[in-house]
Amino acid sequence: MTGARAAEPSEQGAVFDGPARAVIAAALDAQVPGSVALGAVDYVERLLTALDHDPPRLWAAPEGSGQAWLEVGVWERAAWAQRIAEMHAAYDRVAAGEPTEADVRLVHEHACEATFGDPAYGGNRDGAGWRQIGFPDPLFPPAR
Amino acid sequence: MTTADCDAIVIGSGPGGAVAADVLTAAGWSVIVLEKGRNHLVSLDPPYEPLRHLSNDEIAMVRRHLLGPDPRLEPRTYRRHADDGDRLLTGEVNNLPSTVGGGGYHADAKLPRFREEDFALRTTRGPIDGADVRDWPLTYADLEPHYAEVERIIGVAGETGTNPFAAWRSSGFPMPPGPDMPMALVTTAAAARHGLHPYRAPTGANSVEYDGRPACVDCGFCGRYGCPVAAKGDPIASLQRMLRTGRGQVRPEALVTEIVLDAAGRRATGVRYLDLAHHPDPPVIELRAGRAVIVAGGAFETARLLLRNGLGGDLVGRHLTYHFQTFTVGIFPDDTGGDRGRDVTHLHDDLMIDTPELLGAAREAGLPWLRGGVTEHGSAAGPVDEALMYPGGPRHAAAMADSSLRRRMWVLTVQGEDLAQPANRVDLDPSVRDAWGLPAGRVTYRPHRHELAASAYAAAVHEAVLVDAGAQAAFSATSPPQHDIDLHASINPIGIAPASRHVMGTARMGTDPATSVVSPEQRLWDVDNVLICDSSVFVTSAGYNPTLTLAALSHRAATLLTG
Repeated sequence: MTGARAAEPSEQGAVFDGPARAVIAAALDAQVPGSVALGAVDYVERLLTALDHDPPRLWAAPEGSGQAWLEVGVWERAAWAQRIAEMHAAYDRVAAGEPTEADVRLVHEHACEATFGDPAYGGNRDGAGWRQIGFPDPLFPPAR
Repeated sequence: MTTADCDAIVIGSGPGGAVAADVLTAAGWSVIVLEKGRNHLVSLDPPYEPLRHLSNDEIAMVRRHLLGPDPRLEPRTYRRHADDGDRLLTGEVNNLPSTVGGGGYHADAKLPRFREEDFALRTTRGPIDGADVRDWPLTYADLEPHYAEVERIIGVAGETGTNPFAAWRSSGFPMPPGPDMPMALVTTAAAARHGLHPYRAPTGANSVEYDGRPACVDCGFCGRYGCPVAAKGDPIASLQRMLRTGRGQVRPEALVTEIVLDAAGRRATGVRYLDLAHHPDPPVIELRAGRAVIVAGGAFETARLLLRNGLGGDLVGRHLTYHFQTFTVGIFPDDTGGDRGRDVTHLHDDLMIDTPELLGAAREAGLPWLRGGVTEHGSAAGPVDEALMYPGGPRHAAAMADSSLRRRMWVLTVQGEDLAQPANRVDLDPSVRDAWGLPAGRVTYRPHRHELAASAYAAAVHEAVLVDAGAQAAFSATSPPQHDIDLHASINPIGIAPASRHVMGTARMGTDPATSVVSPEQRLWDVDNVLICDSSVFVTSAGYNPTLTLAALSHRAATLLTG
């Protein structure tokens, strides 16, 4: 079997309000044009709320494994809580139109991940990002 | 008198620790393996099947530290030289995975043996100013039976008779080679036209069903990815064998902080570790070993543990070597097919061989000799990795569509021999701490001019090979880069620190306690029931991927230990 994994139902608006969302969307699209149409804002919001779920929605489990998300260790959760708090602050600055250089790099990273990463995380909808670049869907589960 | 919890404690569950635990349990010893990372590899309950955690997911595996270490928890620091101040960067410094299976995960499983000469570089080639070139205290012949055995345990696919420089073997490979990556046939043909001698890479990924594990499916996600189908035998095979004896166990999330010694300070009686399943105050657990403590944390973490404990003497951490990597990148007009395959299917050894050309390059550099390293023909880059290499903006989509750095790319990578220098070292950072308050490890490293000269020679040869193979353009880069730190800090995709995960030499083996940390049996000179079973003990870095050799050394040391 091959094919892009589907993300779980969207939680659009879970983090950013309307005006902030528009500014952040523009910033993501400025880095990777078309990324927002593939779910980049959704990708970011899912990451920023990953720890609101149990297990956290940080690491997608392989298809066929009987679980959707892998468990995250207690220390790893702590590290991600810190990291996500810093991301929140970064996106606040982006939304306020005052991003630092590091914030712009973060937006770039997220735009790339959202466009070309696994669809399970909310971006790359239906594997369209992969199709744009002729990337074969990763094999899940791998088979010849 | 207290009762021991086991015969031996093994610190670290990567290739070195896993092989040692396998040998010890097979000999009837009871063993507890302590691993600071979490377990994504193998069920610790019978029948010890692979866990289903691994997939071809670039986000989880590469971007979000699934296999650890999370640099927030375990920061490392790096500087080129003491003149740089305390550090140039804090974060990731050639981090090998921190998880059950350890460094065995990171690789695309190229498992070449060293050659006879690699164990006697001082004798065969001689000294070089500014480097500490020494012979190993053992020979290839001493290690050969153990090479053969770990090849069998891991399951190495390969062929004999095609590498004219290969060392002698007592037996063939357990499996034939897997399928060639098509582009490798193009670049190896070009290499042959340039007088080089490519051959199919010995690879620890099953080409056929082996030891109950399936054949590799060439999914294209190999290096940096654990294998979703367990076709890679390292490190799962040894751990399963150990667990199935009923005499071994693995404890994940167990961070060893202390090696406990007897009153005389001459024998280890056990360890203390933090149980990281608990947050924020992990309890300290003491574990007693009746016979031995095996340290197998890898050449970075092993040195860090010894330094924290004041064990091993003044040479611990010194003589750190990597492989000085030279990447010659060819951009081709058409797809190279790197999306599928085991990242690398062919190698050549020519840059390790004394040729008139290489000796000429050495003379020009004012050196008595040069050794490059094994050269890998391959290509692999996930689309996120590629996307991150292009600047953001309106041309990003066009760059991705053009895909010069993934779909049309093919790379010849030299794992260049890195000469040991006393100033290149792992030590304890004076102020950066990990999440548990322990001093972070710090790397101080810059290459010897030997590496730079060998790299320049290799780059010229390989750029010509790739152009001959049809590349529109070819260029070379090194890791670590040799340019201005400020320029490269934010834009170099492989960073300013050595990107190589081949970390070696921080607890050298030898026959003289004045110049080595461990004996030829890999025992600490000052505490002889503590053995080092990883690439820390390497005397030279050779220029071949280190995993098979460190596994063979571990196999030998554990075999000698059990008598």
